[in-house]
Amino acid sequence: MVTGGVHLDHAAGRPLDPRVRAAMLPVLDAPPASVEGVHEPARRCADLVEEARGSVAALLGAPAEAIVFTAGATEARNLAVKGLLSANRRLGGHVVASAVEHPATLACCRTATRDRGELTLVGVDADGRIAPSAVAAAVREDTALVCVVHGQPEVGTIQDVAALVAAARDARPGCLVVVDAEETAGVLPVDVEAIGCDALVVGGGAMAAPPWTGALYVRPGTRLHPVVEGGLQEGGKRAGAQDVPGVVALGAAARLAAAEMAGRARAMTGLRDLLVARLTAVPGVRLNGARGDERLPGHVQVSVEGVEGETLALALAARDVAVSPGSACSAAGKASPVLEAMGLEPPWTHSAVLLTLDWRLTVDEVVFASSVFAEEVARLRAMSPLAR
Amino acid sequence: MTAPVVDALGTYCPAPLRLLRRALARVAPGDEVVLLADDPLIEVDLAAWCHEHGHELVSLVRDEDAYRGVVRRGATVGVDASGGVT
Repeated sequence: MVTGGVHLDHAAGRPLDPRVRAAMLPVLDAPPASVEGVHEPARRCADLVEEARGSVAALLGAPAEAIVFTAGATEARNLAVKGLLSANRRLGGHVVASAVEHPATLACCRTATRDRGELTLVGVDADGRIAPSAVAAAVREDTALVCVVHGQPEVGTIQDVAALVAAARDARPGCLVVVDAEETAGVLPVDVEAIGCDALVVGGGAMAAPPWTGALYVRPGTRLHPVVEGGLQEGGKRAGAQDVPGVVALGAAARLAAAEMAGRARAMTGLRDLLVARLTAVPGVRLNGARGDERLPGHVQVSVEGVEGETLALALAARDVAVSPGSACSAAGKASPVLEAMGLEPPWTHSAVLLTLDWRLTVDEVVFASSVFAEEVARLRAMSPLAR
Repeated sequence: MTAPVVDALGTYCPAPLRLLRRALARVAPGDEVVLLADDPLIEVDLAAWCHEHGHELVSLVRDEDAYRGVVRRGATVGVDASGGVT
């Protein structure tokens, strides 16, 4: 029995873990203090921030000093792209990014190359995979930066980022590589040494910390300019008052994720496969993105013949089933650039809905949501002249 | 042991010196810290600051668009001008 609806829109963040909340609360209630201060509350804040830095670093197999806390993953993306390019102009002005990067990464790349340099987008296959050979072919003698996403946030395809980094480095040893791990850090094993990247984006939402928390791993010795300037916080790489409660929450979430990752992934994978089976049993429904182990454990995106994605999302919302039309991060009503890059054409590019899971959901909730999905698809098709 | 590296790229004086002071406070007298900075004023400020605070400027090299300084810690580090322990 399901009461109160089902939330299947976790791409931008999962409900706060009560243990993470419990870690934050004493900090919220403590006297506000700059970690730069000399008094006891300030020292306490500084210690908490450094403890959290160590926890996030441990989750990624990184040294603590390599972690810069940010306000969410998108700020980390801005810092990575703009900060690395600004500090490494001698490498050149050419940027390579996959066509399925997060919209924030693509926006940063376009901004950074607007007045100087050039952006090359690397295409993907029909499941959204980036080929190492395609990255290698795009890298030039003046390529300063390469951006690849680990877990694609819209279709859920997991990339072999270690192979992509190696391909970029083979093509130009000195180029810098940013990996976007917002959807994977804390969900799947992420080891920055094994990946070999220069920077890696982390978001708190995926691991049940507040979605406004995040961090950027920066390989020690890598030159990075701050984007937010004017203070010594975060080693001068991110000025401004630190969100100490948020940082503490991210640290607590990282420790919990490290301990519970396998069980969470197992739970979500079971729910995901059940959801995929039930959704694709509806005629005219196709799963977008890779299958099995190549798919994020919590991501299910489907395109539905004869129904617009936004309309279906609204119809499901009216039945208390929360999903996202296409992408959590793209403008509603537009064709998905990610699906276009995968070679899909209208109406499939306009008919996608994204359902993202949490390990705390139940089988009953997934069954209920997929039943409502089937009913609403049938109802909308009956109303649509296109579907008759 | 590898000398700690203070990456002060993109910050402007006196921020690189405050970050350097913070790093020096974490090493023993006689140990070295490497400073990376790209504010051109570092060329003037670093030598003067080391002299004033009793540290030794071992080297300062311009590497294309940035400076790489090596500083050997003196006996004491102290408290910086803003009141922060560094």
